[in-house]
Amino acid sequence: MSATMDARPGRRLPVPPRPRTVGSLATMAVVIAVVVGLHVVAVHETQFSLTELVSGWRGIWHFLFGAPATATIKASAGALPPDLSWHIVGPGLYQCLVTFSMGLLGTTLSIPFALALAYLGARTTSKNIVVYQLARGLMSFLRSVPAFVWGLIYVTAVGLGAFPGVLAIITHNMGVMGKLWSEAMEETDRGPLEALRSAGASSAQTATHAVLPSVIPQFTSLFLYRVDVNVRDSLTLGVVGAGGIGFVLTQAIQEFQFNVMMTYVLMVMVMVIALDLLSAWLRRRIAQ
Amino acid sequence: MPPLTTSPALSVRGLTKSFGPQIVLDGIDLDVHAGEVVSILGANGSGKSTALRCISGLTKFDAGTVSVGGREVRSGERVPEFAMVFQKIYLVPRLSVLENVCAGALGRLSFWQAWMPRVFPDEVREEAMGCLDRVGLATRAHDRAGRLSGGQQQRAAVARALCQRASVLLADEPVSALDPAAAEQVMRLLRSLADEDAIAVACVLHQPDLARRHSDRVVGLISGRVTLDTTPAALTDANVDALYAPDYITEGGLI
Repeated sequence: MSATMDARPGRRLPVPPRPRTVGSLATMAVVIAVVVGLHVVAVHETQFSLTELVSGWRGIWHFLFGAPATATIKASAGALPPDLSWHIVGPGLYQCLVTFSMGLLGTTLSIPFALALAYLGARTTSKNIVVYQLARGLMSFLRSVPAFVWGLIYVTAVGLGAFPGVLAIITHNMGVMGKLWSEAMEETDRGPLEALRSAGASSAQTATHAVLPSVIPQFTSLFLYRVDVNVRDSLTLGVVGAGGIGFVLTQAIQEFQFNVMMTYVLMVMVMVIALDLLSAWLRRRIAQ
Repeated sequence: MPPLTTSPALSVRGLTKSFGPQIVLDGIDLDVHAGEVVSILGANGSGKSTALRCISGLTKFDAGTVSVGGREVRSGERVPEFAMVFQKIYLVPRLSVLENVCAGALGRLSFWQAWMPRVFPDEVREEAMGCLDRVGLATRAHDRAGRLSGGQQQRAAVARALCQRASVLLADEPVSALDPAAAEQVMRLLRSLADEDAIAVACVLHQPDLARRHSDRVVGLISGRVTLDTTPAALTDANVDALYAPDYITEGGLI
């Protein structure tokens, strides 16, 4: 950065004062007051307390390294070290496969429904405002109910197991993926679409000939992302009785076998990281 | 007329650049003197923009030399003497015009002297006001850049280049996105920067008419080679047709 040329400073002029409307400072003050107030209420309502966390160290110690039996509670094994014996790890691997299968199947089987909802719920493709609003509303409903609540509903219908888990993922995911896909379609360049429309193509034709071909990369990328998320969701589905690694993990906690629980937590961690890396790598390949 | 006795502000010799097997620049020579406006014409793909990007250090070149004021610049090195103006303008739309112009000074400021747009030192803000006044936008200093018209935005981008205290202005199709009146205004501004501030201006254009009226010299590129270097007065329609002819040939004689 040596100045070989004479980089002389330019002429200076005073900077005029920044125009500021009278209301803007007052508005800012009100906004800050409201935000701070909401946080005060939130701290109070959640009984957020760092002192309690510190004074509860004994519980954390017992959880990590085990607790002796008391009159009311039986002795528990601590989370450390995890139980890495094969009769725990072997079934754990199988349950991981179940969890992965639930996430994958749930995402894949929701594709047609998500596609239909995305098509009806994107401004670029949906001409009828009533249909558009209905589709958006349905997608909002499907995704505002968490997958594990869908899981509880399906468990009462078809019983315990991985099958209600798959149904729950399908139901929740068609709302989420439909929304993500419809937004991808709305963000595409309208130019090619208008070119085809001026050529006399119907809205369904512009969708299949202009919109869909341009959004295939985004669709695939969002799909991979959803597989990733849904496998993690299937984990919590196990907690409500829908099978998989989440189910045996809950069992271990209920039986105070924290060392077994730790083994499953580690396996989940490995699976989630592996899946995340795989999905990120695939998405990068697609983006190129 | 440019003072041809002095050494050129910008001097390029044998500039070569390939993207994979495709040779984009095939040994370009170009001199631009202080106070001179040189227009660069050529069909799409002839290497005009790549040449400017290689000179400014945004793209690395393979061989050849680029010198500013007699000092050689390494491939990929970005020096404060070169300022770039873009076809798509590239102001930050949500920042004020003044903050955009101040950003031209970032190269000579440490991170903590301007860690965010609101906190540029007063002397930089005052200098930026001077630059804005130079391009006729002093009254719009506190407006958001995105609110300005295309022509005003491009003038603000030129002010950013002035705030950089550049001695060489590299303009890559600065008026291609503007209407004729705004384009004329921007070209007059570039002309006056050369005349009054002795800045060397290299300007890629697609409009032979603007090149004729505002530049001292016209350089033509075909397939990464300089095939034409003439005065505007000597630039004939045949010259221009020859520059844009390769398009017709490669596309099967379409006219």
